Amino acid sequence: MKEQVISFELNREKVEICADPALSLLRLLRSRFNLIGTKEGCGRGDCGVCTVLLDGRAVNSCLIPAGKVEGRKVLTIEGLTREGLKKGAKVHPVQQAFIDKGAIQCGFCTPGMIMSAYALLRDKPFPSPEEVREAISGNLCRCSGYKQIEEAILEAAKAITEQEGKW
Amino acid sequence: MSYSVTSSLARALNVLSESMGQGRVVAGATDLFLKSLSPELVDVSSVPELLGINRDHGSLSIGAGVTHAEAAASPLIRLEAMALAEACRQVGSPQIRNIGTIGGNVVNAAPAADAAVALVALGARAVLIDLGKRQHHAAVEELYADYNLSTVDSSSEILLRFLLDLPARDEGSAFLRFAPRQALSLPLVNAAARVRLKGDAIESVRAVIAPVNPAPTRLYETEKMLLGSWPEDDTWRKVEYTAASEVEVRGSLLRCSAGYRQHLVGVLARRVLKKAVERAVKSRMGGDGS
Ligand SMILES: Cc1cc2nc3c(=O)[nH]c(=O)nc-3n(C[C@H](O)[C@H](O)[C@H](O)COP(=O)(O)OP(=O)(O)OC[C@H]3O[C@@H](n4cnc5c(N)ncnc54)[C@H](O)[C@@H]3O)c2cc1C
Ligand code: FES
Ligand code: FES
Repeated sequence: MKEQVISFELNREKVEICADPALSLLRLLRSRFNLIGTKEGCGRGDCGVCTVLLDGRAVNSCLIPAGKVEGRKVLTIEGLTREGLKKGAKVHPVQQAFIDKGAIQCGFCTPGMIMSAYALLRDKPFPSPEEVREAISGNLCRCSGYKQIEEAILEAAKAITEQEGKW
Repeated sequence: MSYSVTSSLARALNVLSESMGQGRVVAGATDLFLKSLSPELVDVSSVPELLGINRDHGSLSIGAGVTHAEAAASPLIRLEAMALAEACRQVGSPQIRNIGTIGGNVVNAAPAADAAVALVALGARAVLIDLGKRQHHAAVEELYADYNLSTVDSSSEILLRFLLDLPARDEGSAFLRFAPRQALSLPLVNAAARVRLKGDAIESVRAVIAPVNPAPTRLYETEKMLLGSWPEDDTWRKVEYTAASEVEVRGSLLRCSAGYRQHLVGVLARRVLKKAVERAVKSRMGGDGS
């Protein structure tokens, strides 16, 4: 396949890479940028473990042709962690809430869940439980039963608004 | 393969011209990426002519590049074309709705595509542009060549927008689907309706059901039965029966038996028509119809 130069913003840094535009964004992130926090499950939009933010919105990176991110902003779970570090915490408050609430079991769904949760909280800082459930309706978890995940996201919302200004 | 992202309609048409039939329009890519990709893709998801939702000379104009999430949240669509907002709200998952477009939903031509079913019930017309920059209009239900095959040739045509008549004060629309789960689940049956009242009678009605044929299918017999009168309890029972009998459905090993689907057709047709009538009544009384 013919490669082409793709320039975009990845985790708030400008990047440029020569790659096959038909590669999925998921493959691009994992194999070319070594960002392996984003997971591959079904590879067809059904499980959400590959969720990243594209221009601030949750998308399935397995369904995005790499060529599509030209000129756009991509945020992955690594970028979120980095935001936490920058503010002097170990991780981002959404990640911390998942840890505190026991919302992680095998952890495979976790990066995608957290990205969906983060996208929700950017739009709606005070979500209802119903809105939380809807925001993660495209993310499957085979371990937890979702209850702890829902609680973690509501907890994260509280933590973020309590520390307002900081995040 | 080459992939070009452009925000210029002229440039998108040029790329298609120069690719001599090897090019293809792509929007959200949620359907196309899982199929085989053409050698030259032109991403039109940020072309301004395909974006925006606005009133335009008595019509509601909705860009083909509007995503399901945008359509579901749009106050204008919720006010003037509730069936479309309800359909888009139920597509796939938040991730799919954030990037999948209503234009892609129609051109992909899946028989039970949610937005397409709502658009047909609403009487939407598609505005297309060809490589010579000539525009033409076609009713959405005319864009189906076969199962999963559109008449739109995405190597030489771009679907720009959908136009639908703004509803009068006495109108209402609705969409319903029945699926095994609320997210990430294709519908066993979906249904949409648009109804206009005049005095104590239904003056016009479009009822649509899918998947029955390649295109979303009008329930003409059911519509005829409802026209010119006010539906009572007994009418609704007849609606259910008529709708289920006027179409021939197929069963599928993956989804459900033909008998079950037939039953669902009747139930959904009744519910969706009833809801559209209720909204028309509410809108006449000055509510927002929702
Ligand atoms: C996990 C998953 C779940 C889904 N669930 C649903 C569901 O519940 N309901 C449903 O209806 N659909 C569903 N879909 C299907 C799909 O997401 C929708 O049909 C979506 O609207 C397609 O839009 P798109 O912009 O992604 O299209 P694309 O994939 O970009 O394009 C689809 C086709 O249309 C052509 N095309 C696109 N835009 C134009 C244009 N402007 N002019 C000319 N040709 C064009 C392309 O060439 C291609 O052939 C699902 C898909 C996935 C992967
Ligand atoms: S890997 Fe992308 S949705 Fe499953
Ligand atoms: S924690 Fe194992 S899949 Fe969710």
